[in-house]
Amino acid sequence: MANAEQTAADLDAAAASSVSSAARQRTLHTPGDGHMWVMVLGDLIIFGAYFIIFMVHRAMKPQEFLASEVHLNINIGVLNTLVLLASSWFIARSVQAARADDHAQARRLTYLGGLCGVAFILIKAYEWSTKIDQGYTISTNEFFMFYYMLTGVHLFHVSLGLLILSITLRELRNPRRCRLFMVEAGATYWHMVDLLWIVIFALLYVMR
Amino acid sequence: MSAQSSSSTDVADAGRVPRAGKRDVWLVFWIVPAFYTAFGVIFFALARVMPPPRPDVTTDQMVHFFHAHALTIKIGFGILVLIVGGAGIANGIVAYHMKRMTVGSVMAYCYLGAMSVGALPGCLLVAFCFLTAVYRPGRDPQLLALLYDLGLLSYVGSLGCFATAYFAFAVAILYDKNEIFPKWLAYVSIWQIVTEIMAVPVFVSKAGPFAWNGSIAFWLGVVVFGFWLSCVIVFLMKATERQPVDEPPLD
Repeated sequence: MANAEQTAADLDAAAASSVSSAARQRTLHTPGDGHMWVMVLGDLIIFGAYFIIFMVHRAMKPQEFLASEVHLNINIGVLNTLVLLASSWFIARSVQAARADDHAQARRLTYLGGLCGVAFILIKAYEWSTKIDQGYTISTNEFFMFYYMLTGVHLFHVSLGLLILSITLRELRNPRRCRLFMVEAGATYWHMVDLLWIVIFALLYVMR
Repeated sequence: MSAQSSSSTDVADAGRVPRAGKRDVWLVFWIVPAFYTAFGVIFFALARVMPPPRPDVTTDQMVHFFHAHALTIKIGFGILVLIVGGAGIANGIVAYHMKRMTVGSVMAYCYLGAMSVGALPGCLLVAFCFLTAVYRPGRDPQLLALLYDLGLLSYVGSLGCFATAYFAFAVAILYDKNEIFPKWLAYVSIWQIVTEIMAVPVFVSKAGPFAWNGSIAFWLGVVVFGFWLSCVIVFLMKATERQPVDEPPLD
């Protein structure tokens, strides 16, 4: 335990040399607030159920799913994964900047994270439109129904994430009234969106 | 009540520990679990809408469904059309406590309006479709099949009004500073929106997880709804308990 605290303190010191002792203590608690963790863990359970149901139906029709998967464009999938990973990186650095009381930098990084989120939606819209052009719609078969619904409900989470990031930005705009737990809670949600995409990407695009 | 008797009641009450919450609000509150219990019994045990009968059946099987369950459909939905106002009461008390929040009334009206419109396709239409179907059992089988599809599609597929209501509920809770409901209940309402989105394919899917009886479109939605409803009832109770008896009536 003492070692863990030591490591956490070392990491913190490396991240921001001028960090105050109060801020260092903050890094040792669970980030965000308990309510957001209910959201994140519950959402992961619900998505976990979707993923299990997907795997069950994939096991029932392996040929159909494999034959359909090859029609997805893995390059676009990889691009979107990189875009979302980059956004998570910006948001994580934004939280570090907010902890170090550098609110201007935190705002800039949150904007960059949000821009990546918008880019993700645009790329996904382009991907959907090309698929529909090629004749693969929600009623093509069960795989494409999973494809549109899983990516669609994930897009809803990205949109909600952009709304949450805009609330984070409002917090960061006024350094004196900025509540750090709100910034952390927003980042916690955003990382969940990223994590969900990575699993969706693996299940739909990569798994053979 | 005259002013004299009112003041004598006040004197009598002064000696006792005041009961938490307002009496009329408690009365309305207890109708909510009672209504949803009756709702569950009607939809599960009597009308056989839950779990929904299969969408991938022949016209003959749909006709057989109505013949086999005619009596329980008449009893169940006959009671439902009489007590369906309980849904309005359930929405009313949620809106009442939403109006006690610091966000003001607007989100309460959004919730109330969206839920009220949603109740027509989401609860009443299936009752009228099934009651019509069993009213004249000798009707053209194709017409019975139409009532079967229409009833179940409207019941499972009425999504947007509820999603809007959940969103208004979530926003109100997150902005509220009076802590009428816990913040995490807002996020549970967001899960409800997720399950509504996942039920969109019921209109194109006749079998599998996204059909109207499917594991994703129906069962996961029911599980999350059950959890949400239980939480709402518990926290309506707590909100009613915590409301000061002398809180002035709302506008």
